[in-house]
Amino acid sequence: MEDKVFVTGAGIISALGVGSEATLQSLLSGGSGIGRITHLETEHDEFPVGEVALSNAEMSRMLNVGYPIDSLRTVLMGIIAAKEAVASSKLLPRELRTAAFISGTTVGGMDKTERHFKTVFDSNTETEDSYELKYNDCGYSTELIADSVGKFSLVTTTSTACSSAANAIILGANLIKSGIVDIAIAGGSEALTKFHLNGFNTLMILDKDNCRPFDRDRTGINLGEGAAYIVLESEKSAKARGAEVLGILSGYANTCDAFHQTASSENGEGAYLAMRKAMDMARLSPRDIDYINAHGTGTPNNDETELAAMQRIWDYELPKFSSTKAFTGHTTSASGSIEAVICLLALRHGFLPQNLGWKNPIKDDAIPVLEKCNTENVENIINNSFGFGGNDSTLIFSKFHKDNG
Amino acid sequence: MKTIAEISITPNRTILNGDTISTANIAGLYREFVGDYPKFFKMDSLCKLGFIGSELLLKGINAEEKENAAIILFNRNGSLITDRNYQKTITDDNYFPSPALFVYTLANIVTGEIAIRNKIYGESSFYVLNNQDMDLMNDIINNTYLTSSPTFILTGWVDFDDEHNYEAKLKLVTK
Amino acid sequence: MDNLILQLKNQIIEVLNLEDMTPEDIDAEAPLFGDGLGLDSIDALELIVLLEREYGIKLSNPAEGKQIFKSIASIADYVSKNRKK
Repeated sequence: MEDKVFVTGAGIISALGVGSEATLQSLLSGGSGIGRITHLETEHDEFPVGEVALSNAEMSRMLNVGYPIDSLRTVLMGIIAAKEAVASSKLLPRELRTAAFISGTTVGGMDKTERHFKTVFDSNTETEDSYELKYNDCGYSTELIADSVGKFSLVTTTSTACSSAANAIILGANLIKSGIVDIAIAGGSEALTKFHLNGFNTLMILDKDNCRPFDRDRTGINLGEGAAYIVLESEKSAKARGAEVLGILSGYANTCDAFHQTASSENGEGAYLAMRKAMDMARLSPRDIDYINAHGTGTPNNDETELAAMQRIWDYELPKFSSTKAFTGHTTSASGSIEAVICLLALRHGFLPQNLGWKNPIKDDAIPVLEKCNTENVENIINNSFGFGGNDSTLIFSKFHKDNG
Repeated sequence: MKTIAEISITPNRTILNGDTISTANIAGLYREFVGDYPKFFKMDSLCKLGFIGSELLLKGINAEEKENAAIILFNRNGSLITDRNYQKTITDDNYFPSPALFVYTLANIVTGEIAIRNKIYGESSFYVLNNQDMDLMNDIINNTYLTSSPTFILTGWVDFDDEHNYEAKLKLVTK
Repeated sequence: MDNLILQLKNQIIEVLNLEDMTPEDIDAEAPLFGDGLGLDSIDALELIVLLEREYGIKLSNPAEGKQIFKSIASIADYVSKNRKK
């Protein structure tokens, strides 16, 4: 069985910009991507969001694509991020042919559906609009992204709410470890829609100000959008290709909180189990963890229970931790891979992303990373992604050293 | 992979381990075989279908074994029927979107509902596939054993199109 | 007041899908959450929607609901004082 899973490529688009370099600069300068709604057609302009700055038309021009992709935001963002991942890994078309493409999404083509739904619903007959509804399919949006990037041996979609992209990465790693593929491009893409903006609003967990993860007075989420993919590769394949290694996916776990459809259990059982099991796989002890990129949505329930889970493991002193959702917004199904790329940037460039918007601790000693510019030797990073349904997943990224790689 | 138990539920027939045990619909199955979990009525159709299948399969399995089990489900339609219902509540001009309905616009809530009922803390995943691709489904199930050692896996297909078109084909497997 | 209590019981049975329950089964003074009817946070949000749709009462902070949703009687009391329709 293959033991190590290398990361040899990354691509990202979010409110922080297009591409890894723009994302890095935004993180280092401490500039949040959250602002007023500009692209999404909704009456709920009272909620700040982390929108990708480009319109569908601008992205379509960038990619030189037409109908139907030009109106599918999840697909457009997905193609931009997946293409960057493939290019940064210097993968050739023939190498993609034996690779897997796995994408997490829950929204899929919902944004397009919203533009046609009322006409279809009111007319109650088959119209041109009803034909457009087929793009709603989550799996179809993955296929469109994959087809624009290359031919793959396996294409599939994971849908576990806000841990979807993390679980896509876990599936990719498992396929490599079992020898089914040598290379997997895994991540997620999710566009903002009225559907889930309204949904999170009815759950009364949206913040009308910029979100404040891990702050005592936090009141909720700012939704965001974006896409990110990483290239996972077996050690053998990466060495044979002479690929540059961005980091090692040294551990991961997927657990269930088994408590409530949307709320997390008080002691964060699922989160605790996910972090523990991932460290077991990576053969790391809690003291080896330099930084936790928390799920940290900014809701009263998530941050309190995630912190409770962390304090069960690190009962002496918490490692450095922060949530980057005050930078990007909560990019829901894409958050696992967007934050994975952020963790890989932190590993490579030796810094810890700050926790914007924070003022007061939930508990005395629970203070996240606040410095804008910092340099740290970061060896091992925990990246948490939790979803409704109690789907809790943890990824661990470790620094690659030539001698121990 | 060894199958310990299997069930098939369609609108007019429920077959458990090869025997037809009922011809009732989902609500009828609940009254016939479960009856003690009022939260059932709050679930959407996809969850109800997966839940009933899991109840019949997991009868007689003790809590200790269930704790470290895994749940891996697949379907084609995701949570489409509930998505449509929720969409209607936000399209209306005088609208009152329902929080309870929104929760079920996530297909993976069905794995969560089964985990909550049975206190299952192991891996839970939900995949959306074009069709019942047995090779891919088996690969994914086998892969689970690479990275964790669940006592058993509750797995299979659970798809709800409408009240006349639904299908659950679930089984319990061990390594 | 008794009419309002009965109306609320029927509305709650409907919106929360409390199948197999009749208004007589619900004690107006009994707690709705925790031990009583066993309602949860999503049910509380559904009740907030109910107050707005049926009685024109808007709650913007879910925490306000804690006191109001203690029992059917406390909801009836709040509705009778604050209803807009």
